[in-house]
Amino acid sequence: MMDAGRHPNIEVFTNSELVKLTGHAGNFRAIVLKRPRYVDPELCTGCGICSDNCPVAVPNEFEVGMGARKAIYSPFAQAVPNTYIIDRENCLNDDFLACTHCRDVCDRNAINYDEIEEKVELEVGSVIVATGFDVYDATAIASYGYARHENVLTNMELERVLNASGPTQGHLVRPSDRKSPRKIAFIQCVGSRGEGKEAGCQYCSRFCCMNAIKDCVLVKQHVADIEELIIFYIDMRASGKGFEEFYQRSKELPELRYVRGRPSKIIEDPESKDIIVCVEDGETGEIQRIRVDMAVLSAGATAAETNEKMADILGLQLDENRFFEVDTKYGSPLHTGREGIFICGCAAGVNDISDSVAQGSGAAAEAEKFVAKVRLEEKPREIPELDLSGPPRVGVFLCHCGINIAGVLDINALEEYARTIPDVVHAEDNLFLCSDEGQKIIQEKIAEHKLNRVVVAACTPRTHEPIFRESCELVGLNPYLFEMVNVRDQCSWVHSGVPDVATLKAKDLLKMGVARARHLQPLYRKSIPINQSVLVIGGGVAGMRAALDLDAQGFKVFLTEKENRLGGRLNNLTKIYPANLSAVELARAMVEKLNASRVEVMASTKINSITGFVGNFEVATTNGNFQVGTIVVATGADIYKPDKEFGYGQFANVITNQELENILHDTKGKIEIRGAMPKTMAFIQCVGSRDPEKNAYCARYCCPTTIKQAIRLRESGVNVVVLHRDMRTVGAKAEEHYRRARSLGVKFIRYTPERLPEVNGRDGRAERVEILELALNRVLEVDIDYVVLACGMVPAKESTSKLQEILKIPRGTDGFFMERHAKLGPVETTTEGVFLAGCVGGPRDISDSIAQGSAAAAKVAQFISRDTVSLEPTTCVVQPVICRACGKCVEICEYHAPSLVVTDSGYQAAEINQALCKGCGTCASWCPTGAITSLHFTDDQINSMMDALLTVED
Amino acid sequence: MAEQKKREKGVLVIGGGIAGIQSALDLASSRVKVYLVEKSPSLGGRMAQLDKTFPTMDCSI
Repeated sequence: MMDAGRHPNIEVFTNSELVKLTGHAGNFRAIVLKRPRYVDPELCTGCGICSDNCPVAVPNEFEVGMGARKAIYSPFAQAVPNTYIIDRENCLNDDFLACTHCRDVCDRNAINYDEIEEKVELEVGSVIVATGFDVYDATAIASYGYARHENVLTNMELERVLNASGPTQGHLVRPSDRKSPRKIAFIQCVGSRGEGKEAGCQYCSRFCCMNAIKDCVLVKQHVADIEELIIFYIDMRASGKGFEEFYQRSKELPELRYVRGRPSKIIEDPESKDIIVCVEDGETGEIQRIRVDMAVLSAGATAAETNEKMADILGLQLDENRFFEVDTKYGSPLHTGREGIFICGCAAGVNDISDSVAQGSGAAAEAEKFVAKVRLEEKPREIPELDLSGPPRVGVFLCHCGINIAGVLDINALEEYARTIPDVVHAEDNLFLCSDEGQKIIQEKIAEHKLNRVVVAACTPRTHEPIFRESCELVGLNPYLFEMVNVRDQCSWVHSGVPDVATLKAKDLLKMGVARARHLQPLYRKSIPINQSVLVIGGGVAGMRAALDLDAQGFKVFLTEKENRLGGRLNNLTKIYPANLSAVELARAMVEKLNASRVEVMASTKINSITGFVGNFEVATTNGNFQVGTIVVATGADIYKPDKEFGYGQFANVITNQELENILHDTKGKIEIRGAMPKTMAFIQCVGSRDPEKNAYCARYCCPTTIKQAIRLRESGVNVVVLHRDMRTVGAKAEEHYRRARSLGVKFIRYTPERLPEVNGRDGRAERVEILELALNRVLEVDIDYVVLACGMVPAKESTSKLQEILKIPRGTDGFFMERHAKLGPVETTTEGVFLAGCVGGPRDISDSIAQGSAAAAKVAQFISRDTVSLEPTTCVVQPVICRACGKCVEICEYHAPSLVVTDSGYQAAEINQALCKGCGTCASWCPTGAITSLHFTDDQINSMMDALLTVED
Repeated sequence: MAEQKKREKGVLVIGGGIAGIQSALDLASSRVKVYLVEKSPSLGGRMAQLDKTFPTMDCSI
């Protein structure tokens, strides 16, 4: 968020909207209406004195109406921009009172009541629609009593209540009596998957299941002595990367209970204001009335209210749920009906954060094609460097992080202590140092106190160090003279029960941080030239999409495929849900486009080796060698092969879903298997998935695939029974298809992993499936002709291991390649210049794989749209004079960075390739002569931290 | 009325939530001019309102 606000190539218009769009792809003309803020962003410092003096208090939208804000306000502490804004509807300046309190107290004269709205005309090549969703209005379900019963909250309200900077400062209390609740019920599917008169929306809102589980884990952290957390659900839909594992882990919380059932009503006890949830337990059939202190409604998502107006302006269509219509012709979720306009996030239907991020990147790649010729010239930032001569002058900044840190640690004591540490010339604290205001304060103090070292005691450097480093750099302080001390994760979070001890530990960590800071040296990033081309490994749908997107931007693309033809798994599929697009035709269309492009397609080609580093990879294949600057790995996954489960291999009529797909592929119209139409077929879900013994994760694609196949069979007159654990309808329109399958008469029966369905038969043929019907508590016997096993997805055995070795990309416990960040970096890896797309990073469907293909293209373009790349200077270096060329570093380095060379003076010594080195320091610690220094982690720096820790103070 | 400021040709991103911000950052990092339009007074969208995101429990801001 902060990055977007600061980026020199982004102009942000907040409080603004698009009012007109004319022209066509490549040459649109947009008119943006900028509404007045009545506060001049150039003058406002975000000090907040205006707000303190404003006499008007209104409900705070950011806090979902809980808590209040003033008529002049900043929406939240870390808002971007941090300029205040006047809400003129509630401001008294227009009134006969003509209040001018805020203007009177503003030293900077930033307030202008007469500011008028302004129209800005923009020339744009393409447009990205990322307008998001609205939260479902839970008052529409009268029987749940939201807004009538005080202790019924929505999930969004709970998020704010749990937040340290929220209306209760992170103290979980129930609204009626401000007491900490002991029992909380979470009601899923509020406004989603609706049926009947209080229907809400028919689709699944996708994010609420995981959100409820996360909230339960958080509640447990907030209220250690919580007695009971109950989640009432229909199906637990944990189908993203790591989701199923998180769900299973949550079951280890002894307080958390899952009850399958959608409550019929929620009643309030008028005396105690307790909440009574009435529900039929779907597994026992028992009607229950469960008393809790508080209920949380998992409200789903609805189409944004502004969609009609936006669709009108943009010339786009809306679907039956008032989300933007996607043009499915390309199989991609990013295309709209109008060329040059792309869509991402929740504007076209609900997505979770990770998929929204991938789609955001994907839409960028698509949009970029229309402006690839007008890239901006980059001017290097010229900031004079501060004079660093003289002794260290350390500034210490302590962040409250709302109450995340300050709620446990004694910040005042810490600040007093900081002032006593040698060379500390300034110490201060702030509510949120990551806010714009916090950053500005650091920058001001650097100048004011001539600081040449900055120490921030706050959260984790993993997410926040880059922001602080950049703030230092912008005022001329070398970013490597910045040090971050993590007193949140390591003190206030883990020792929340013992604040004194936590503060003591924070003092130690701070003392060590300052000691290290005193020894920090400035480091400079080096630029190296790069090869402006890309290798895409894997010619499946994700790889083809990435290759096409990059070619359209004018880059040189090599696409390798190990099989003799492109298309990957598409070649084995029939129709793709939800639009009934023919997989073969989609593959054919993409291959035709590739043939017409400049992409160098290399079929029947395997990668032998890849050496080098970002910008300069040397690729050796079975079909020739070449150089590229970046790499996209899109090698897909394998389908799980059943190992005698459910009679597979023993009975000829137990087949996999892929085998069924092949049969459906060959039969045109009428369903015939081996010459006869089957009468009854049973599907068994989760074969090889959601099983800690085999693969703990959910393979995500199989539920919607089964629904698709079941509909096809049912429409041809086959009786279909689906045996499942939870039907997980991930993806566009999948829930609607599930509903359709049920209305066509497909039977869905649930089983539990404790009591698996049994397939019985004789003479090599399965005849019957036995399943325990949970609500009836009776074993049902179903006569069948065929059993179809919905097999999960597993990492491609051969290619994954080989590529892991070649590219050094780590793999998760699930065996799939690990992305840089599960949510915020879904297609990036820890190896610079190497990206992932499609199922190589985990199971996903075709539409999501295509979005990832485009997303990887956007990431690649960031590198190869330039002719140089800058390298992190935190690497290892050798002092050749001390090196005795023993070769230990060459042997142990995982990244092949060191090598033995003959120096200019004629003797042999190790040299470390700065582009390959990751600065891990393994070689430095092994080096027997101490010739290797790990820059930014020198012996001096580390020793000073140890000394500081071990020095006993009086 | 319309400002006189000279603006380069670029891409219009409507919506300053997580998806729009991601699009804007990716484009901007590829040397493309981006105009990011958000109807509310701040960027951030829904994600800014969330307390933490699982499974890493990182802060959502």
